[in-house]
Amino acid sequence: MKFEKTVTVKAAREAVWQFLWDVPRVAACIPGCKGAQVVEEGKRYAATVGERVGPFKVEFPLTIEVLESRAPEYLKARAGGRDGKVDGMVKVELDLHLAEAGGGTELRLTTDVVVLGKLGTLGHSIVIRKGDEVVGKFAEAIRAQLER
Amino acid sequence: MLRPFEFCEPTSVAEASGLLARHGENARIYAGGTELLLAMKMGLLQYEHLVSIKGISSLAGIRFDDGAKALRIGGATRHREIELSPVVRERFPAIAQMESHVANVRVREQGTIAGNLCFAEPHADPGTLLQVYDATVTLEKADGRRTVPLEKLFVGPFEVALEADEILSEITVPALHPKMAAAYLKFGILERPSVGVGVALGLNGGGVKEVRIAVGCVGPVPRRMREAEAMLAGKSLAEAEALLPAAGEAAARAADAVSDLHGGADYKEHLVKVLIGRAFQAARQQLA
Repeated sequence: MKFEKTVTVKAAREAVWQFLWDVPRVAACIPGCKGAQVVEEGKRYAATVGERVGPFKVEFPLTIEVLESRAPEYLKARAGGRDGKVDGMVKVELDLHLAEAGGGTELRLTTDVVVLGKLGTLGHSIVIRKGDEVVGKFAEAIRAQLER
Repeated sequence: MLRPFEFCEPTSVAEASGLLARHGENARIYAGGTELLLAMKMGLLQYEHLVSIKGISSLAGIRFDDGAKALRIGGATRHREIELSPVVRERFPAIAQMESHVANVRVREQGTIAGNLCFAEPHADPGTLLQVYDATVTLEKADGRRTVPLEKLFVGPFEVALEADEILSEITVPALHPKMAAAYLKFGILERPSVGVGVALGLNGGGVKEVRIAVGCVGPVPRRMREAEAMLAGKSLAEAEALLPAAGEAAARAADAVSDLHGGADYKEHLVKVLIGRAFQAARQQLA
């Protein structure tokens, strides 16, 4: 499932790029994210992400790996993890493009999310909608962080 | 594997509500269990206490309230009871018909109407058709009760406007006007329907006095399609029939379809349009 979101923020591209490496601030933008930490500076990170749909709750301990970075315009990362309780697995590939846009910066966020295991039985459409919502909230939160 | 849990059997709404209030998120109402137990067996849901509402006599039964001119269905009523109820068959044939096609007979023998509505699995039938009757639901707890339109019960997929200690005690379905009829059609390629459409049509001489349309399964929650309804209401029958494809398209746009295993969004939108046309005609034929 691919989700794409674009947001324009009133901040210089360089500043946006710097922000992306500020782990606590980025973690604060990810809905349901806690315990974010640096495993290897610039390469590997860890965090736990939780979500709920009605009574269904999931929690994924994720390992995040930076696959490619070209300052200050492009970042590619991969995250994956398994929910022990529900027996579900999630894999996320993230592409982030930063472009200068009239004094501000345009962030184009493309995510490819794969949900495996029993979690899929919850309903494919629900997972799609939730994924879309989460990516949208993430993009908006980044803007809020950078513009305040 | 089903994990151990305490099975509580209260005999009144107040007692059940008290148990729910005490145990909070560790407890869940057990009505028929057809959805809940499956999710629990898969480990998707875990509760320490299940509060069975099967032994609460005030939640049982179906009756026609002559004063209110409405059908009153107790929350713990099973689908099969509704399907076979003489009063439902005679005065609300579309509901009996819809109920006779919910899942399969084993599910209908166990599953309850309130359980179906409150679990709010988007691919369900009753929540869609009941909306074209302007049905309301009574939500009850130890120290009070409130009545809300069924439409307002649905908040999102698997999410309803029920407070933690509330129980859906009754569904009230107002009788349609004598010159009004309803129909429900669905289509699906998997176990659960991909699209469900309910239409209630009221004629006045050669004109469409009133039309109510609801669409379910396609979006996160079943809902009324008021833009499409407004396009048809007040028109002559011939005009309304000519406008049906456009109204169907308006409803298809409003349905908030998503591509998934049940079909692509454009396919579901097409089905919404086709089924609205057919359900409209099915309702019309009943009035002929």
